[in-house]
Amino acid sequence: MATLTEAPPPLSPTAPATKPPRKRGRLTPYWLLLPGLLWLVVFFALPMIYQASTSVQTGSLEQGYKVTWHLATYWDALTEYWPQFLRSVLYAGAATVLCLVLGYPLAYLIAFRAGRWRNLIMILVIAPFFTSFLIRTLAWKTILADGGPVVGALNTLHVLDVTSWLGWTAGDRVLATPLAVVCGLTYNFLPFMVLPLYTSLERIDGRLHEAAGDLYAKPSTTFRRVTFPLSMPGVVSGTLLTFIPAAGDYVNAELLGSTDTRMIGNVIQTQFLRVLDYPTAAALSFILMAAILLMVTFYIRRSGTEDLV
Amino acid sequence: MKTNDSGSGDVRLTGISKTYGAFTAVHPLDLTVPQGSFFALLGASGCGKTTTLRMIAGLEEPSSGTVHLGDQDVTALPPYKRPVNTVFQSYALFPHLDIFENVAFGLRRRGIKSVKKQVEDMLELVQLGEQARKKPHQLSGGQQQRVAVARALINHPKVLLLDEPLGALDLKLRRQMQLELKRIQTEVGITFVHVTHDQEEAMTMADTVAVMNGGRVEQLGSPADLYENPHTTFVANFLGTSNLIEAEVDSRSGDDIVLKAGGGKLVLPEARCSAPTTTGGKVLVGVRPEKITLTHADDAGEIPEGRNRITGKIADSSFIGVSTQYVIDSSVCPDFEVYAQNIDRDARLVPGADVVLHWSPGHTFGLDAAQDIDAGIQEEAAV
Repeated sequence: MATLTEAPPPLSPTAPATKPPRKRGRLTPYWLLLPGLLWLVVFFALPMIYQASTSVQTGSLEQGYKVTWHLATYWDALTEYWPQFLRSVLYAGAATVLCLVLGYPLAYLIAFRAGRWRNLIMILVIAPFFTSFLIRTLAWKTILADGGPVVGALNTLHVLDVTSWLGWTAGDRVLATPLAVVCGLTYNFLPFMVLPLYTSLERIDGRLHEAAGDLYAKPSTTFRRVTFPLSMPGVVSGTLLTFIPAAGDYVNAELLGSTDTRMIGNVIQTQFLRVLDYPTAAALSFILMAAILLMVTFYIRRSGTEDLV
Repeated sequence: MKTNDSGSGDVRLTGISKTYGAFTAVHPLDLTVPQGSFFALLGASGCGKTTTLRMIAGLEEPSSGTVHLGDQDVTALPPYKRPVNTVFQSYALFPHLDIFENVAFGLRRRGIKSVKKQVEDMLELVQLGEQARKKPHQLSGGQQQRVAVARALINHPKVLLLDEPLGALDLKLRRQMQLELKRIQTEVGITFVHVTHDQEEAMTMADTVAVMNGGRVEQLGSPADLYENPHTTFVANFLGTSNLIEAEVDSRSGDDIVLKAGGGKLVLPEARCSAPTTTGGKVLVGVRPEKITLTHADDAGEIPEGRNRITGKIADSSFIGVSTQYVIDSSVCPDFEVYAQNIDRDARLVPGADVVLHWSPGHTFGLDAAQDIDAGIQEEAAV
């Protein structure tokens, strides 16, 4: 019986003059910031400053290192190790593309098609994290072992002939080749791709798919024009979460690769722990950081996802 | 603007139904929406109106029956092959595209190259020319709603389907958009099928209203026809307010039926009774609150002969400005509602006063007494 019973607009009482907030209230945000800030200072800012100073020192382990502002270390490191830099970018890039190609259909399936299996599949995606990174990578050593079933199958199917010709594998070996390293990287970082992709796909309003279909878009066009553009935030964060750690990784190259597949992470590790050339190691770390920062900035600018919330 | 019509452009639903497991959302239904009409599917939530609409759009597959658009059987066609467009409840505008591209979406999908002129004209029609390069989230609710209409209309569909398109707007804007949509419909001449739970909205906008309840069409007709001649208690209560009285058929006089209710007699034209009337049988007698005149019991003698009358006591009255709403406690109906125009207000008509309610027999309608007398009341109150 709502026909004639519209409520009149409520009489708003004149708003009481807002009291100025008390002084302690104004400081509260800073108190809340403090633990995080302290953490960042102690575990991020201080080590960074320490590393920066190390990178411009000269000397030797016996006589001690002194800050001499020897910036040539950077140039020397770059000229000597640029192949490893390049290789890191290539391997991490390849692994990122593979992760995207494997992870997107999986995330799509979980978000839109899995129904009641959704949680189970999500658990399976995260399950590898229950064991250590090292053990999982070592397991790949067994999987790709010479004469193992995987290598055997690839050999029979003549896949190895193609990959060898491309220079990804060597003869009838997969282990100790670029392919093995990229496989390891892909495997290890796949969840970092799937999770953000899933999150952004899952947020897409199902009615947008219906609306696209209603407006004469075939399912494939709907994907190209609506679903994929709307999942761009997931694609961007997924590729960043994969590429950045993969570019600095040394475990996969160490365990699955050879001296010919050394990445920049391996060089830094060797310089720090074996050669004990701290300035070069520190300089390499900074170059890697700067390079990644540059690439990421360019990538985010290009993908234009700022206004995709 | 014209629709590409091949033969007649009527929407014809034949024996269409939808079941989800054991639940039947829509019972087998036959419905024809004439080309160019503004058709409303009205009902409370869960009555099957949206499911029916989605079956026309192709977003829902019917469990049985067929959907025809003109001569074409579209039952098996996916949505993107149907010459039908939908304005979704929450608009479903593409958030990554600007207003221009949202409106151009359908044209581009059909491979039309030069869309600029058409899109600009359409944005002009819905008065959003200035907003073309904004993103949907930068617009107000009412503007988004107009974009959704423009995005659908630009394709010149044979039928435009509107799924509660005004539900998210506030009351004032809703009134404004009702008139706006009606204007657009008249201008473009496309068939509109409008789903709503708001009976006022349906009556204001539509030429024909189908009242749905429990997956069935209760009654179909023009708004005035449904209001004046409801055939079921659901329609009588859901559209506006009805006073329903249980009465017993006493005798006949010409085209009228004379009924006994309480101590008195009521006259009901036989043509306005949708129920079988056998002498001694029960009938529900209905009358709309605004058809009734209130007279103080002291002046009962001045009431002209031949009017239906009932006596009672005013239980409550509320002043609404244009009218005063009274609730009368009467022996035949405990909450008898009367809306009186505020022309000559009788100062004696206050709660507690004894009154006579009287109305012209021509305004009386009769319903089958086997129905639930309160059907449709809860639903309206819950809205």
